[in-house]
Amino acid sequence: MRALGIQQQQTIKISLVYFFLVLVSIFVFFPFVWMFLTSLKTNPEALRIPPTWVPQKLTFEAYIAIWTRKPFGTYFMNSVMIASCTAAISTFLGALAGYGFSRFIFRGKTLLLGAFLATQMLPGGLLIGPYFKILARIGLFNTRTGLIIAFITICLPFSTWMLKGFFDTIPPELDQAAMIDGCSRIGAFRRVLLPVAKPGMVATVLFAFLLAWGDVLWALCLTSTHEMSTVTLGILRFVGEFQVYWPMLMAGSIIGSVPAIILYIMLQKFLITGLTAGAVKG
Amino acid sequence: MLALRIKDKQMGYFFILPAALMLLAVIIYPAIYSLKLSFTSESEALYSLTNYAELFRDALFWQAFRNTLVFVGVVVTLHLVIGFSIAMALNTRIKARLLFRLIVLLPWTVPDVVAGITWKWIYDPVYGALNDLLSRLNLIDAPILWLSDPKLAMASIIFADIWRGFPFVMLILLSGLQAIPRELYEAAKIDRASGFQSFRYITLPSLKKIVGVALALDIIWEFRRFGLVQTMTQGGPGHQTEVFSTLIYKEYFQFFRFEYASAIAVIMSIILLSLSLPYIWMISKE
Repeated sequence: MRALGIQQQQTIKISLVYFFLVLVSIFVFFPFVWMFLTSLKTNPEALRIPPTWVPQKLTFEAYIAIWTRKPFGTYFMNSVMIASCTAAISTFLGALAGYGFSRFIFRGKTLLLGAFLATQMLPGGLLIGPYFKILARIGLFNTRTGLIIAFITICLPFSTWMLKGFFDTIPPELDQAAMIDGCSRIGAFRRVLLPVAKPGMVATVLFAFLLAWGDVLWALCLTSTHEMSTVTLGILRFVGEFQVYWPMLMAGSIIGSVPAIILYIMLQKFLITGLTAGAVKG
Repeated sequence: MLALRIKDKQMGYFFILPAALMLLAVIIYPAIYSLKLSFTSESEALYSLTNYAELFRDALFWQAFRNTLVFVGVVVTLHLVIGFSIAMALNTRIKARLLFRLIVLLPWTVPDVVAGITWKWIYDPVYGALNDLLSRLNLIDAPILWLSDPKLAMASIIFADIWRGFPFVMLILLSGLQAIPRELYEAAKIDRASGFQSFRYITLPSLKKIVGVALALDIIWEFRRFGLVQTMTQGGPGHQTEVFSTLIYKEYFQFFRFEYASAIAVIMSIILLSLSLPYIWMISKE
């Protein structure tokens, strides 16, 4: 009798958990659904009172229009190139530094590590003014290179920290074994440690990519033409125009989100371990 | 062996050097540049405190200050509450756990500009989904001006930012929950502890540190939130939703007062650094 009671209690508890999670999922999906439905409407239908929910006339014209009437292709390529380069550079430098912080004891280490973390706390607002002036002086204003340099400020401290956490989880005996087998320190790092830390590297590349992909402040301040604009900046500028075409804007938003969502779904296992490797263990 | 060890010590610097030089060039140098800029003004030849003196008399600065505190305070608190409830739900042994984890994390993958623009469209008083939904449910008679009513604008933005940001906090808390050894709960069960007792005496104490990490990171992210506010209201109506990041942007690129903007940015950085100092200290001394 009592066993049955516990069983029932368990069933009730699980149903409540499901109920709660379904509610949360509705909250999560609602904006995505509205975004998607709007992107399939014609412009007049998007401006109907009261609004229609399911498009009466399904059309992909908004998706075509953002590539033909707006330079979304250029924006998209810019975002891909800039975010990839940023991710590659900051993961490479971050792996070296993360390994250094994880494996060596040297004078000033705590201070240096603290300084790395502190640079991450400095807001973009502090740096955009000087960047505007410096990049203009060296001819990198309104270039992809300029933006990559700027994005490294967001990504490098974080990459270093994430990869340090990853290297910390790999036993140092592994390096020693490789060095006894005749590898130099750098050889051990390159041939043994990097392959083992691959999931961490993947997570860091992904995270840096998402950070750079999602930024708009830097792109807004450091570019001035459509040729150098990113997807997020394209969307922001689009909102400011005299007449807003919501289906196009929503189609652009979907195009701007899809690469990030796909990357994330493919790599979510790595991302979750990577983000929390440093944070959880202590 | 000794020779190797000395050499190895220097190797530490060798590995860190490239990243350190990079940070010096791309962050430290511009930061100092900005600091210098904040002490210059057009009327005076040498360094002066003119900008800072002006700033403390500037009502707009104080409004942005208050708005930022409200925005960050409310958003971070609700991220924590919602994130924690969902993490607890996802930490039970239900079958669809992984599916729900995937769903719940989706808002966080979207650029904040996209989140901002989508919510702006949902909030649209005439064509938007929210007013339509509420009037279909007979909850409102007249459309609500979510973003242009000065009393509502901040709350509307905060709501959108809760949607965008809770997954990150949830993710960190979930990993903390999963790191608690199951044996602890089993032992508590044997000792006939109630569900609440094991929550109070096992779950909460084990999570103390990870909650600190989640809070610190979330405060740092939300303090500089720009894209979301810029797409939704650009700081308006009036300056009701003006936060530090949007104000600094305006001073720089609409009024072209670089020196004054730098001064605001310096104040913002000092606040951020002092807020995150305990966190930096905690994790770098390990």
